[in-house]
Amino acid sequence: MSKIEKALSRARAEHGNFLVPVPNTGTARTPVTGTAMVADRTGHPETIARMAVSESRLLSPGDLSQRGIIHHQYVGDPAVQVFRELRTKIVQQSQGRNGVILVTGVNHNSGSSFVAQNLGAAFAFDTGKTALVIDCNLKNPSMHRLLANAAVPGLTDYLENPDFDIAHIIHPVGIARYRVIPAGKRSEIPAEYFTSAKMRRLVDSVRLRYTERFIVLDGPPMSDIADIRILSELSDYVLIVVRYGRATNTQIENSVNAISDKKLLGIVFNDEPRIPRIH
Amino acid sequence: MQMYPEQIVKTLIAEIFQSRRLVVGIFVVVNAAMLIVGLLFPKGFSASTSILIDDRNIVQPLMQGAAVPTEVTDRGRNAREVIFGRKIMDQILERGGWTVNRPTAEQQERIIEDIKKRAAITTVGRNIIKIEYKDDDAERAFRTTQKMAELFMQESIAAKAAESSAAFDFIDKQTQDYHDKLVRTEEQLRELRSANLDARAGSEAEVTARMNDLQRRIESTSQELREAEIRGMALERQVTGEVEVNAAATREGQYRTRIGELQSRLDTLRLSYHDTHPDIVQLKNQIQDLTDGIDAERGRREQTKRGGRLEADQSTLNNPIYQQLRRELSQNQLNVEALKARIADSQQRLQQELNRGKLLHTGDARLAELTRDYQVNRDIYQDLLRRRESARVSMNLDRDRQGFTFKIQEPATLPLYPSGLRFWHFVAGGILLGLLIPVGLLYARLQFDPRIRIGNAISSRHKVPIAAVVPHLWTPRELKGLRVELAMLMFAMVATVALSAAVTVLRMTRVI
Repeated sequence: MSKIEKALSRARAEHGNFLVPVPNTGTARTPVTGTAMVADRTGHPETIARMAVSESRLLSPGDLSQRGIIHHQYVGDPAVQVFRELRTKIVQQSQGRNGVILVTGVNHNSGSSFVAQNLGAAFAFDTGKTALVIDCNLKNPSMHRLLANAAVPGLTDYLENPDFDIAHIIHPVGIARYRVIPAGKRSEIPAEYFTSAKMRRLVDSVRLRYTERFIVLDGPPMSDIADIRILSELSDYVLIVVRYGRATNTQIENSVNAISDKKLLGIVFNDEPRIPRIH
Repeated sequence: MQMYPEQIVKTLIAEIFQSRRLVVGIFVVVNAAMLIVGLLFPKGFSASTSILIDDRNIVQPLMQGAAVPTEVTDRGRNAREVIFGRKIMDQILERGGWTVNRPTAEQQERIIEDIKKRAAITTVGRNIIKIEYKDDDAERAFRTTQKMAELFMQESIAAKAAESSAAFDFIDKQTQDYHDKLVRTEEQLRELRSANLDARAGSEAEVTARMNDLQRRIESTSQELREAEIRGMALERQVTGEVEVNAAATREGQYRTRIGELQSRLDTLRLSYHDTHPDIVQLKNQIQDLTDGIDAERGRREQTKRGGRLEADQSTLNNPIYQQLRRELSQNQLNVEALKARIADSQQRLQQELNRGKLLHTGDARLAELTRDYQVNRDIYQDLLRRRESARVSMNLDRDRQGFTFKIQEPATLPLYPSGLRFWHFVAGGILLGLLIPVGLLYARLQFDPRIRIGNAISSRHKVPIAAVVPHLWTPRELKGLRVELAMLMFAMVATVALSAAVTVLRMTRVI
């Protein structure tokens, strides 16, 4: 039994109402071809197939829309197009490898969590790729809202307990090929966690284990500059989110200067007003 | 931040959509406020009249140069001064019914100030004065305007007549003054002429000629006198010389002749005889006697010479030359006397002429002065006479109302509709301002707010690529809420406009 399956079964035992039912297929690294939904395009069809098994109850496009997450069915929506383009850009940059992308906001309420979630969703559109969104915004976490049970263990739980398994903190949210690590219990001194070797190990292990998996770190705003520096070191690319009508040039300049040019992928100008068509 | 026009429009629309509640809120509030202001704003009725001032009527070309039309440079200001004067204002107060409640002097002053504020007197073109008066009572606006025009015309005509009459009086007085002066000068001239009869043209030349003549005569007479005197002296000398010659020639000559004879006899005797010879001694004694005689004669003559008077003896007197000389001398004496008398006479006459000349000069200067005064006064007097006639014609023109006529070009009418800002202006202004104010405010915020609203501005300024521009993702719940919200906002706007329209209609139909 894989670590993930173990974690899932334990979680089920603990909470009973876990959103996603625990699959009962073979051991870790054993290909489950019978239920595979995706063509062998990534070289890791077994991983994706296993995920698919655990996603027997997916959220409907309507539910996703309600949660503010894009869905490939709404391909006409400009937001869907934008995230797809952003994903393609990153994939092209990564040259076939997976990558760790830090999404941070210039200031509070920049919508960096929204961008991180949807960037993850855009990766998950591609049937050959999976996405893992880690909520690193410990002061103001948001990923737990995607989960039916907000009290599931998360990042801080893993970093605090030496014997905690990674599988225990990775949770499906009802989107195909999409997983999240919520922030976990609140901590008073979050910077301590990110500096720990365990955090680096976590990022490395989730990245190295599945090469088709893109990891999105939903970081704190740039005002928590210490955390951002550590997290940017752990990541391959950095996206700075600037919300329409919220940030000044000085703030943007400070943020841009704080991130190394090599890692800075660019700025995401978020929440540009759009008048919807109402019938 | 530099923005292109299309960016501004796009961003402004986005901002209006984002701040839709604020926009609609301001729209409703502004409309409501303007509606209230419009309802409270006092109605104003305005009446106006225009007066044509015709100063170029038929008489003017005929009287060109003779009559001077009164020049009015700023008719508008003139009219304001006249109408706003207390004299007319008092009558207007009465006519407008302001005096019914018997206001105190202070209240009257305030009412007059109010009337002045509401009245506008302007000049249209060159010759038209427009009087405009605004009042909250249409009837009173009409009456006041009418009265203002009427009183202004009356006052102006009276003032003009008074002015030309005053001008005539002044010129008349001046003419009289100059006439008196002229008469006085003439009188003085006459007196001067009668006092100096000599003082006529050419008198001076005559006097000068006469003086020259006298001068010349004195000089020639003097010359003659001098000659006569010299001649007299010469004659005197000659007469005296003749006496001396006579004396010498007669006795001394006789003695010397005798001595000579005796000397020759002596010399002859001496040849034969000694000196002791009695003849010789006798001769010698004779000669001695004769020599003594000569000495005695000489001594006598010297004595006479010293005594100054030469005794003419009988022989001299009998000398014909001497006699002639004496005659000439006496003649000359007479001549000298005559000449002296003539010179004295001439000098006296010269003195007379000199005095006369002096008198003549003084008279001439006075005459010139008086003549000059006379000429100047005469010129001015003649000019004034002409002017007085012109002034008389001007005065008559004004008296007969021919020089300057006022015509009511456009009579005042009773205003039927209120003027100035009408109620619908407020309503329309409310709608316009209700839209413009929020849009303006948002535009100002766009211009002055340093926060970024255009993604491209970031990439160009910070040299960082824009990875994505994410439009707002509308969730179904948001959309539903938006739908409701937009419907409500739309309703609020429509209701506001409808309310304004309804009140306008009610106002127009005089319900409120």
